Amino acid sequence: MGEKNTPLLAVLQLLRKYNLKGTEDILRKEASLGDVEFENLDLPEVELASILTSHHTESDPYSYEFAYDNLRKFIENSLDIYKYELSTLLYPVFVHMYLALILYDHNDHANNFFEKFGAEQEDYCQEDLKRLAAVKHKDQIKGNELAEIYSTNKFVVQLSRDASSQLKRFLQEQKSSTVIINIINNHIQVEVHDGPGRTQAQVRATAGGMLGEATRNENRTKVYYGLLKEPDIQVLPAPVEDEEEVEETPDKPKKKKAKKEHIFMKKPKSDPNAPPNERIPLPELKETDKIEKGKALREASKRIQLGPDSLPSICFYTLLNSGHTAICTDICDDSTLLAVGFSNSSIKVWTLTPVKLRGMKSAEKLQDIDREAGDVLVRMMEEKDRDTCRTLFGHSGPVYKVVFDPFKTMLLSCSEDSTVRLWSLQCWTCLVVFRGHVWSVWDVRWSPHGHYFVTAGHDRTARLWATDHHQPLRIFSGHLSDVDCVQFHPNSNYVATGSSDRTVRVWDCLTGTQVRIMTGHKSTIFTLAFSVCGRWLASGGNAELIVWDISTGSPAALIPPTHTAPIHALAFSRDGTILSSGSLDCNIILWDFNAITEEAIGEEAGTNANTTVQKEDKFLLRSFATKNSPIKGLHFTRRNLLLAVGSYEGSS
Amino acid sequence: MGDSEFAYGSSMSVDSMKVIAESIGIASLGDDAAKELADDVTFRLKVIVQDSLKFMHHSKRQKLSTTDIDHALRVKNIECQYGFIQPDSLPFRFASGGGRELHFVEEKEVDLTEILYAPPPKIPLDVSVRAHWLSVDGVQPTVPENPPPLSKEAQKLESVDPISKLSKPTNKDAAGKPMCGKAARLKASESVHVKQLATHELSVEQQLYYKEITEACVGSDEGRRAEALQSLACDPGLHEMLPRMCTFISEGVKVNVVQNNLALLIYLMRMVKALLDNQSLYLEKYLHELIPSVSTCIVSRQLCLRPEMDNHWALRDFAARLMAQICKTFNTSTNNLQTRVTRLFARALQCPSQTNNETGVGPSMVTTMKESEKTPLASLYGAVQGLAELGPEVIKVFILPRVRWLGERVEGALSGLGGADRLAAGNLKHQLLKVLAPVVRQLRQPPDLPDEYKRDYGYLGPSLQHAVGKVRASPAAGGGGGAVAVVTCTPPLVPAPPPPHVSHLAHVTHAPKTVDTMASRSMVISASPAPQSPAPSTPPPQKFVIVSQQKPPQTQPASGAGHIVVHSSQPTIVRSQNVQSVVVTSGPASGAAPAQKVVVVGVQQPHHHAPPAPALVSQAPVSVVAKPVFARGGTPQQPPELDDLSHLA
Repeated sequence: MGEKNTPLLAVLQLLRKYNLKGTEDILRKEASLGDVEFENLDLPEVELASILTSHHTESDPYSYEFAYDNLRKFIENSLDIYKYELSTLLYPVFVHMYLALILYDHNDHANNFFEKFGAEQEDYCQEDLKRLAAVKHKDQIKGNELAEIYSTNKFVVQLSRDASSQLKRFLQEQKSSTVIINIINNHIQVEVHDGPGRTQAQVRATAGGMLGEATRNENRTKVYYGLLKEPDIQVLPAPVEDEEEVEETPDKPKKKKAKKEHIFMKKPKSDPNAPPNERIPLPELKETDKIEKGKALREASKRIQLGPDSLPSICFYTLLNSGHTAICTDICDDSTLLAVGFSNSSIKVWTLTPVKLRGMKSAEKLQDIDREAGDVLVRMMEEKDRDTCRTLFGHSGPVYKVVFDPFKTMLLSCSEDSTVRLWSLQCWTCLVVFRGHVWSVWDVRWSPHGHYFVTAGHDRTARLWATDHHQPLRIFSGHLSDVDCVQFHPNSNYVATGSSDRTVRVWDCLTGTQVRIMTGHKSTIFTLAFSVCGRWLASGGNAELIVWDISTGSPAALIPPTHTAPIHALAFSRDGTILSSGSLDCNIILWDFNAITEEAIGEEAGTNANTTVQKEDKFLLRSFATKNSPIKGLHFTRRNLLLAVGSYEGSS
Repeated sequence: MGDSEFAYGSSMSVDSMKVIAESIGIASLGDDAAKELADDVTFRLKVIVQDSLKFMHHSKRQKLSTTDIDHALRVKNIECQYGFIQPDSLPFRFASGGGRELHFVEEKEVDLTEILYAPPPKIPLDVSVRAHWLSVDGVQPTVPENPPPLSKEAQKLESVDPISKLSKPTNKDAAGKPMCGKAARLKASESVHVKQLATHELSVEQQLYYKEITEACVGSDEGRRAEALQSLACDPGLHEMLPRMCTFISEGVKVNVVQNNLALLIYLMRMVKALLDNQSLYLEKYLHELIPSVSTCIVSRQLCLRPEMDNHWALRDFAARLMAQICKTFNTSTNNLQTRVTRLFARALQCPSQTNNETGVGPSMVTTMKESEKTPLASLYGAVQGLAELGPEVIKVFILPRVRWLGERVEGALSGLGGADRLAAGNLKHQLLKVLAPVVRQLRQPPDLPDEYKRDYGYLGPSLQHAVGKVRASPAAGGGGGAVAVVTCTPPLVPAPPPPHVSHLAHVTHAPKTVDTMASRSMVISASPAPQSPAPSTPPPQKFVIVSQQKPPQTQPASGAGHIVVHSSQPTIVRSQNVQSVVVTSGPASGAAPAQKVVVVGVQQPHHHAPPAPALVSQAPVSVVAKPVFARGGTPQQPPELDDLSHLA
């Protein structure tokens, strides 16, 4: 294929793409292109776009370096109020110049360009630059995840009105070279916002997404972040009282009742932010589930109020002899069972109480049982086998997450083998294998109301499932890289996902659309946790921890990095006053969540006290080090005792 | 950012490609092809490694493993690499030659049959869960499951640079004591910062613990003492109590030296030992209390009520070993600890003539002369022992030049009247010979002529010559490895110190179930400390006991393992020793019935190798020989005596 013909071919391909037959024929005749050449016309999308837009400036590799240097000087010399916003332009321009140089086969120039300006990009871009640096040839753009993302999507840069007009003036002055204008036109989406230019800290707080910041429009949708009205309040007292009668403890019921009512009273009758109860069809509660709920409420009435002055006790469960094999852990809601997923595909479930784990009787024996009997649930369990630990086999790859359902009868697990398995905790067997994800499934979570669950995987999607369907109900796609973690909103209407593209997104389960996109993380997000009230979302990445306000989609607080390794566990205390984070650096840190939210709300109200210096002391309550045991799971019991799980990695 | 080269630049080189091509039989790979290949391989490798990082993160690890690479390959639909499971990291080897440099991983040829017939590997232990309190109401309890509240490095830093603690007061608040309540109040006012340097008050629990521990350590219940010492040696959270512990020890030594209470001194030294062994403590700040106490126990004139009977020698030995351990651990160029300790001992050995030569004029010259003239033999023994523990170089410089004078003292005492003096002289002589022999062996060339020795070393010359001869003759002495004992059933007439590595031999005549105590030094074993002052002509008592055993046919198993050693009525002595070798000599004729078996257990005591191995004195060492002792000895285990020194050995 001759060099000259390339643009023509590109035009031809474009015409064909839009099915403009007539023009195509005319062009072919005029340019006297043969059919043969036409047949093997298969330019990659990326290249096609570049050729069509800028083929005339492609020739001069030196213009890039010159243009970039100009832009940098312009930004450095601009006023401080514009400077920091404008500087977010540098990175995408740099990346696209590099890719353009590679695309036009100026490999050596590209290398020089990279060496010269790569190191001066923001520190949080360096990780990406390392990955991009692997691309050294035109053909490799196709194979590189990152390069593809950059060339097929637009990078979002937010500028204030003044800053953008500054930029426009600058671009007009640059008549000699259209390189930057081309790049900004084709690859960068400049979002103009009203209001003053932002400070360095503000810019930094939201920078870091793989494709720049979130646009404001994306976060306009209203999110019903309030909690559901408890549907079972009316139903509850009856079973609870039954329970108490069974126990026959004469003086206790009175006290409990009083406190219980207190708890009910606390909930606002109708939260304006709460979604209607029937927005998402929720399963009817079974009789046993109601009993479980009643127990939970009774326990809750006994819980300790936590705060900066009354810190929780922490019980640490150390997994001995597990080395690096233990991957994930979960503790069920009533804190009686501990599940651990291992890299050798097995799952182990321990009981944390003296109550042993029992299996169900065999089918023949079950037939003999009187199904009408009141204690049928007890009778159907085997009496002989009583273990403190049971192992579940079935997966064929490392198990990346295990979760107990809210009612302690089932367990979900996801694995590298791209399947999700549902296990029964009564028969101790696998009930369903959910297939759908293409590659590894990184995370799985139950809806707080059961029935639904959500998964996230390497295939860049998160999927919503129901236990009675073998196919996903919703597929949430939009992340640019792996979806590393998911979390259900406490009202079951929303799902939050965290990804390697360094964004946190919130999806509506009803419509399957993305309602929030939040940028600011500088690294992969490994874990998410919703606050008890449903308004805040905490996300943990590589040593960084951010709390988001779901109502606006903006970061509520940037917690100064105290951890030194990826944070893999987050838990809110049951009264929502304390946030605990556990990291691979063997530390558990307790944060004063009340202070965090108060500050966020205060900032919103405009009383923006300059407290950045004090921050570290302000939020951090205490850190607890373990003995060389990276934290893999955190869980607050209903009485606000913190349970932590880690695996001891030897004294080396 | 100067590391950009490192960050972006790593790539496979063309040379590597060529080498790899050669290794699979492509002789001439063109430069262009190699370049193309290298670029491509680099790109693919990077992509795979970047992908495998994801798997590492999701496995909640911080170290990339081969399985991560396998998973990444699976995602790329490439068959994974089989057989690359390696428990440890593989070292890259380097070779150069012919102008080329190579980094490679050594691949050894594996003998399949060997693998097939090898015993199956041990089944890994099953995963288990263990719970403990990481925090109780926001305070981290100092239990062994939790990391020490103040790491050893932090303690070290604090002792070297106390300012460092002031500069970051939040550090401690975040980890240790609660911020709320008192600490928070303390923090609020500025002036209190300095006070926080050392916590001066102990919590009620700590006070209780202190009381319990100190009582148990000096009490009469050996079991409780063992527990207390174990706690001192292992508990991670003791640093706050250290000042008190050290004061307790130093005051205790002061009082008990005056009262000549040998047993208590021993207990206190064992406490020092336990504290030294604690991995989480850094004792440097308290050495000013510990060193005087320990050195007192080494060189004090009198440590017990009945010097002629009580075995205060073992205490001196033990304390000397402690001192060596302290010197080794804490000696720095700033505190010059070892120099000062050495000088301390050397001064005790100062003989009159040398005082004249070395120090020359000095106001204390006359007094030193007089003092050293009457330095008691026990102190001399301690000084010699203290120096000897510090290594052969010290022996050479400080003891050897004084041998002549020491010999005179010994000669004088041996020919004198006092029983105690004579015993002391005997011990000193024995000790000197033991210590000096290996050093002299290194210094002198083989023809060992008695006359020369006599000329050079005075009274001790001939004995030394004999000892050196013994050392030379012993095959193991040169290697320093496993010692082979020379077995003699009775103490030799000629004083022959055992080879350096064999200092303890055990001898128990088993058949009649009686225990013969051969020499006073082995009183450890004897159930009753019978006064057994040796005759004047008897060679100095030696540190060995020999077990000769009448084979009891009914108890002996049929297998050839019948010569496993059974000895010692009091197992404690064996328990705390490191058994180096077991030598068995049969009865008079090899073909004769195995009527008697003489078994010797050689025990290595690292006298001449600087540090005493921790296992030697640890409280619960793994016993190799002890068990058969209990099993077959049949002797009822007697409770250890108050002044049982076996644990010091």
